[in-house]
Amino acid sequence: MTDDTDVTLSEETPSFLAPRRKQLLVGRRAVVASTVSTVLIIGGLVAAFYLAPGGKVVRQDYFNLHYMWESLVGNHNKALFSVGTGLLINIRIFLIAEVFILAFGLGLAWTRMTRSPVLVPFRILAVVYSDIFRGIPVLLVFLLIGYGVPGLQLGYISNQSPEIYGCVALILTYSAYVAEVFRAGIFSVPHGQILAARSLGLTNATTMRRVILPQAVRTVIPPLLNDFISLQKDTALLSVLGVIEAVQAGTIFQESRFNSSGLVVASLLFLVMTIPLTRVTDGLIARDRNRRLATT
Amino acid sequence: MRNLRLSLAGLVTLATIGTVSLSTGVGANASSALPSLASCKTSIAANEFTKGKLTVATDTPAYTPWFVNNPSNGKGYESGVAFAIAKELGVANSNVVWVHEPFNASFAPGPKHFDFDVNEISYTSARAQVVTFSNSYYNVQQSIIALKGSKIVTHHTPAELKTYQYGDQIGTTGLTYIEQVIKPTKTPRVYPSLAEAASALETHQIDAIVLDTPDGQYMASASSGEVINAKKQNIAVQVGQFPSTGEHYGLLFQKGNKLVGCVNAAIAAMKSDGTLTSLQQKWLSIYTSVPQIKP
Repeated sequence: MTDDTDVTLSEETPSFLAPRRKQLLVGRRAVVASTVSTVLIIGGLVAAFYLAPGGKVVRQDYFNLHYMWESLVGNHNKALFSVGTGLLINIRIFLIAEVFILAFGLGLAWTRMTRSPVLVPFRILAVVYSDIFRGIPVLLVFLLIGYGVPGLQLGYISNQSPEIYGCVALILTYSAYVAEVFRAGIFSVPHGQILAARSLGLTNATTMRRVILPQAVRTVIPPLLNDFISLQKDTALLSVLGVIEAVQAGTIFQESRFNSSGLVVASLLFLVMTIPLTRVTDGLIARDRNRRLATT
Repeated sequence: MRNLRLSLAGLVTLATIGTVSLSTGVGANASSALPSLASCKTSIAANEFTKGKLTVATDTPAYTPWFVNNPSNGKGYESGVAFAIAKELGVANSNVVWVHEPFNASFAPGPKHFDFDVNEISYTSARAQVVTFSNSYYNVQQSIIALKGSKIVTHHTPAELKTYQYGDQIGTTGLTYIEQVIKPTKTPRVYPSLAEAASALETHQIDAIVLDTPDGQYMASASSGEVINAKKQNIAVQVGQFPSTGEHYGLLFQKGNKLVGCVNAAIAAMKSDGTLTSLQQKWLSIYTSVPQIKP
């Protein structure tokens, strides 16, 4: 047993350091070991699910196929809203928010990194902003914007739909995170690049636009996509503002049928929506890592 | 660690009991012949969650007129009903134990930690497949709550009712009523709790809330403070109530709980001797004068 572990470790370590090298352990033993462990773990989880004392009740409550279908398509006459239609709202909000977040986040990052003494108040504001919006739970930002702003009775601003307020809450929160991602990306470009560009006679602005940003963007794409996956899921918070999006439709189904299958349907739809993006992110991270390791 | 193991073992046992009672109790029907109250007084102990105590659950906060501040003080209609049932079953007031049960958790799978839940829960056949309901202890009608001076207060013909933006608390029969009977052209807003719905009404995000008449009356009363203006004056008004749809509140039990027979017997006794009516007059009397409107 101990021997096995040692062998695996010693053979695993170099392959981790140099992924391009052919794996040392490709033999039958590896195949058998991975198969056995997979079957044991997955089988164990499935068995626990089926054999648990309350397993039957839970399966009926969460995986009732009839109810899953009913919640997916909805039933207007029974006051059941479609989880599928609800998801369209999530997707729309996500797409709109994403564009604004990218623009606003980049602006924030830029502001924080300016050197001009005239812009000091803006720099301070940018720092305070990212501290505040990274510090307050998203749910509270939703509640404060969604119920606070209409309460102000500011005419046009206070008469928007909850979808708009939710979108604004997402933009405010995620811009703070995305700005930090951009900043980290810009800092990751070696200082020598700036010096080289400046010594070639490029202006500060041109250096940023032509030398720093192109390199920084490549670095920040994986963490940015991570933030967007998280953003997709946080669109579910629109439910607290009264919007019937996917999760709210599932919850309405749960409360009128006393059955949670609608929530499982919502989870599955969110998975379908996020998995492509998670796969792309993982692929990009792997490609980037290979590229870097290959050059060193 | 030992404590953890013990409680885990307890949970597993409880879960097993829950499954067994689920599979055996399916045949139990609330409308079948009721046991006599005299026999209940002796047999009740065998079915109680805690022997010798009647464990009653409700959500927090408990709302007027169903409860007044605290469920255990006997004030408010539902508190009164719970204590009256206890009296019929020969349980002393001091042996009625109140526990907190969020509405969403009350119908989750698994064993319940109470004898029954009294929380303005409307009977529906779909819900009755997962939990057991007692017979009605209150028949409910739906009513419209709006802002004073808003259009819906004076314009509420069936055709006009369809044109408004409604909002409601999630899981309420008011929401079902909106969708099934009013059928508005705009998708209603659905809020996690009544507080958010009230806030949305207050800030003109919605035109009206459809609410059980007593709850609506309370929201529109001067003492509620749920929908107010800058001077803290109540600005909500109860426009009127819709005709009855046969909707009623039932006490919620674990599916197949045998205690429901005795509780139904107690409710039947309270109906025939006038206890229920006098409790309604005491706590809900102001709710009988609400004008009727057509959906």
